[in-house]
Amino acid sequence: MVGTNTTPVLSVNGVTKTIGRRNIVDGLTFDIHHGEIVGLLGPNGAGKTTTIRMIVGLIEMSRGDVLVQGHSIKGDFVKAIRHIGGIIENPEFYPYMSGYDNLRQYQRMSDGVSITRIMEIVKLVGLQDAIHKKVRAYSLGMRQRLGIAQALLHNPSILILDEPTNGLDPAGIREMRDYLKRIAREEGIAILVSSHLLSEMELMCSRVVVIQEGKLVTERAIGQAGENEELSTVTLRVNDLELAEQTASRLDGLTRIGSIPDEGALTVRLKEEDIPDLISELCNARVRIYRVEEHKSSLEDEFLKWTGGNRIA
Amino acid sequence: MRSFGNLVWNEWLKMFKKRSFFLPYLLLAGAVILVAVMLYNFSGGDNGYGFAEMAVSTRGMGQMLTLLAVVVTAGTVAKEHSMGTIKLLLIRAQSRTKILASKYTAILIYVVTLVAFMLAVSVLTGQITFGMENGSATLNDVLQGSLYNLVYTVVYVTLTFMVGILTRSSGAAIGIGMFSVIVESMVVQLLARYSWSKYLLFLNVDLSMYSGGGSSPVPGMSLAFSITVLIAYLLLFLGAGFVTFKKRDVA
Repeated sequence: MVGTNTTPVLSVNGVTKTIGRRNIVDGLTFDIHHGEIVGLLGPNGAGKTTTIRMIVGLIEMSRGDVLVQGHSIKGDFVKAIRHIGGIIENPEFYPYMSGYDNLRQYQRMSDGVSITRIMEIVKLVGLQDAIHKKVRAYSLGMRQRLGIAQALLHNPSILILDEPTNGLDPAGIREMRDYLKRIAREEGIAILVSSHLLSEMELMCSRVVVIQEGKLVTERAIGQAGENEELSTVTLRVNDLELAEQTASRLDGLTRIGSIPDEGALTVRLKEEDIPDLISELCNARVRIYRVEEHKSSLEDEFLKWTGGNRIA
Repeated sequence: MRSFGNLVWNEWLKMFKKRSFFLPYLLLAGAVILVAVMLYNFSGGDNGYGFAEMAVSTRGMGQMLTLLAVVVTAGTVAKEHSMGTIKLLLIRAQSRTKILASKYTAILIYVVTLVAFMLAVSVLTGQITFGMENGSATLNDVLQGSLYNLVYTVVYVTLTFMVGILTRSSGAAIGIGMFSVIVESMVVQLLARYSWSKYLLFLNVDLSMYSGGGSSPVPGMSLAFSITVLIAYLLLFLGAGFVTFKKRDVA
């Protein structure tokens, strides 16, 4: 399904929410394409939830617009929202009804969703055994799965999830992440997730949009080097640190970052294509290499850099 | 149209699947039968239709039906907010206006079933307890009493529906809805001497005052006048409710 389709599935254009004289969200603009998992990051109170709720039409925008598959949420809500599947915070259901009856509610509200489709989705999220039990008796993890089921029921082109892992245990979080990745890969569904669990976002998203005080701070891809990071930082563990440093210093374009003599660790920065040369030079010099580790700055480090630290959720 | 039918069916199921769904029916049937037995034992009573007319009319036991309907109505919008289900309800491919209209329709259907049920139970109980022979009242009187009580209930239910939307609190909606029903007769007594009071909701809501040659509380009122005033109030309540529901930010 992933193809050459380049028109964005979701396009947020200068969305602003003003309450009183304060802009809770201020001129936010970003696009999401087919099959992409995008994280919306920001400290508490940055406007993540407000943004998500404006995208799904729960909160009215003061200015700007959101286009879903080319339909405006403002001007043509019914056509636009049809392509969205959403879980807004912990999904809440009618507790006195069974999971199945809850899904039937949403099935009746969407055109062209058959009962077979319900069972298909129930199987996908692994709720077959519990679907006829009352939601009251569901664990949070089961309710979260039912939440995914209701969001996917009408074959949306984009899933929008507000803090989907809130309150889940590590196993539940992992399960959720695996689902989402599978859905994005197999069905080509775009996904927008807001969260403040940075490590989670790092594992799940292909791109993050960082906002602070309602404004876009940065937007960048994850898992590949950014523009100003053509150089890799590598730590080598060797038996003879002195010899290694001597050998390494003869290479062009290599910067020594530091070393830890006790551990025999040498950290250098160099171009990715020079790494094999460095290794073979060291081997020729009879330096024994135990380990070569790439030094990645984690999303958390970067996040703190972007948002100026100390205000993280 | 089919999709609106689906929405109404959804709302009906939300009420029906609750364990408390049958409680109002049971309470009404219980009250009617209890009063019938008491009347039979202590005063003899008149004929079956006479009893039924008393049972279904607003000034008889019909007001109890109104109070029960108010309680059920109060939760329809407010509970969606308090349970958090409103978020999943409003992100469907349906307009908010349509969703709210389906809720109101389901409530109206519910009120009609309550009134019809009470009518049936009252007539049946009356016939069994007091016999079928004709007295002063006829089946027609019973039907008319039921109809007036239906109108009466719809007005208060609509008021409660609006309060539920505006406040998002079922407690407030129940409180205001019930309070209005209860203070109604007092307001009528206190304010009936002022001629402007004929435009008040409370003085027009009980249409049964025009039947049987009774006089209206304020001179110059008629059945047509009261119906017009009630329609104006209903439109006001629904207008306020729908506009608020459509505009509201769900945070």
